[in-house]
Amino acid sequence: MSFLAKRPFLLFLLPGFIIYSLFVVYPIVAAASISFFRWNGIGPKTFVGLDNYIELFTSSEMMSQFSNALLNSLQIFVLTVLILIPVQIIAAYLIYNQVKGYKFFRVAVFSPQFISTPVIVFIFMLLLDGNVGVFNKLLEWIGLGEYVRPWLGLPGYGMNIVWLMMSWSGFGVGMIFFLGAMKMISKESLEAGYLDGAGFWKRLFSIILPQMKITILNMILITYIVSMTVFDFNYILGGVSGGVDHDVDVMALLFYRIAFGESRNPLGGNISENSMGLGSTVACVLFLLIFVMSMLQVWLTYRRREEV
Amino acid sequence: MIGVSEKKKSATAASILLWIYSCFTVFVLGYMVYNSLRPKSELLTNTFGIPKSLGFDTYIKMFTEQKFHRYFLNSTLILGATLVLIVIFASMVSYALGRYKFKFKNALQVYFLLGLMFPASLGVLPLFLLMKDLHLLNSYASVILVLSAGISMPVLLLTDFFAKMPGEIYESAILDGASEWKTFYRIMFPLASPVIFSICIVMSVQIWNQFFMPLIFLQNDSHKTVPLIVMKYTSNLMLSMDKAMVASVIATVPILILFMIFSEKILDGVASGGVKG
Repeated sequence: MSFLAKRPFLLFLLPGFIIYSLFVVYPIVAAASISFFRWNGIGPKTFVGLDNYIELFTSSEMMSQFSNALLNSLQIFVLTVLILIPVQIIAAYLIYNQVKGYKFFRVAVFSPQFISTPVIVFIFMLLLDGNVGVFNKLLEWIGLGEYVRPWLGLPGYGMNIVWLMMSWSGFGVGMIFFLGAMKMISKESLEAGYLDGAGFWKRLFSIILPQMKITILNMILITYIVSMTVFDFNYILGGVSGGVDHDVDVMALLFYRIAFGESRNPLGGNISENSMGLGSTVACVLFLLIFVMSMLQVWLTYRRREEV
Repeated sequence: MIGVSEKKKSATAASILLWIYSCFTVFVLGYMVYNSLRPKSELLTNTFGIPKSLGFDTYIKMFTEQKFHRYFLNSTLILGATLVLIVIFASMVSYALGRYKFKFKNALQVYFLLGLMFPASLGVLPLFLLMKDLHLLNSYASVILVLSAGISMPVLLLTDFFAKMPGEIYESAILDGASEWKTFYRIMFPLASPVIFSICIVMSVQIWNQFFMPLIFLQNDSHKTVPLIVMKYTSNLMLSMDKAMVASVIATVPILILFMIFSEKILDGVASGGVKG
């Protein structure tokens, strides 16, 4: 008792520590260890060393699915960083400057965050539908009738549509983050810019952006993690297989498919027999992909702070 | 004065962007509500025509035949239990990390941050096996436990708060003879309530819209949450387009109304979370 009385923090730590260790940390460690075994979760578990990793990167069927999913995930990342984040920063800057109607914009832009993914996918499916879709109707109406097509059935468009849905729903959160960062910037540096005669955009680029580098880096890292782990949009839109020819397949969906199987089109005895082993291997590769990027981020942030 | 008019011009030009986005959002909501009032036959054959009849028939069907309220209860139960657990776990851990000084404190802080870097969905295979061993598959408890273990973000925010709190409050409470525990839940916890409120808001959205964990752990229809059941209707549109519309509206509109009421507080809470996270 006196041991605990001297260390009251232990009792405060214990419940959270146990549940966090059991349901967050243990699964990561366990996944790493399962990836060295050949196992389907029920049958015999045989140690195979790095065989699962070798299979993932040498089997041509696995490799083609893996690279397709990775490229699709990276497509979301690149599109978001190049298009969405700049637009979010501009939108945040407008609201920061309290343009007319900024209170309404804040609410309108954040609202889609509260719409759950199945609803978003459903609405976009209807809007883009070939027959009853509003988007085609709109094209006809403004005289672009020749461009009318069944958007969701077209190969190559799938990931762009997924990205559009994600951008629409996630736009507000990122924007609010940037807005929060802008509000932290001291008024003095802005006033100095004013007196120097810096214009509306110049103030954004030369005063505000340099001061929110860390926030932007954080958002890029979050975007990367999200694009590596996005699952629900692709699963709802394309099913377990990620659409025709894995058109909208992404990393997390590939992981799910290998781990829990594809009911309609099994990949073959080889993989379902080893679902746990190979599934964990994919999860570990994903962990590594995220870990490397996070470390890069920590290093960049640390270096920046040294400079300042 | 030049600065002001120049600011106005470029700002107005750029805010077209915000107008387009907002109009689209309002349109989507209107489109959903309008179509939810139309019968199925009209949705498919008379999509762009003038509506012949509007009514709440499908809504009534959803609550009588489809027992939609049951899924609402499921979602609410999971949300409520998870929030309570997250608040308890996270506030206690953060209090320990923020208030006391001890060995390995920094290491523990990093330990609790790991969850931010590694999304729980990737550890789902061992979790699945663990839940099977605990005989918790197909129970609310599985989803509640997994979700309430995700305390990294709340711990990050609350540790900061407790660490910045002046030490005198704590010392005077102890001098008054309050125990460590009493000091925490009578004095420190209430002081943290604004931070806890914004954490609850941010977590609520994530938990309510959580798709992956319920998909894995809740296979029985009777245990499903709102997002999962919406997908059941949208996966066969020819048969259940009208129900899919109504389910979408019921899943969306009440939450949006709550958001509009508390929007100021919610947006500020999210903004502060973003800066620190």
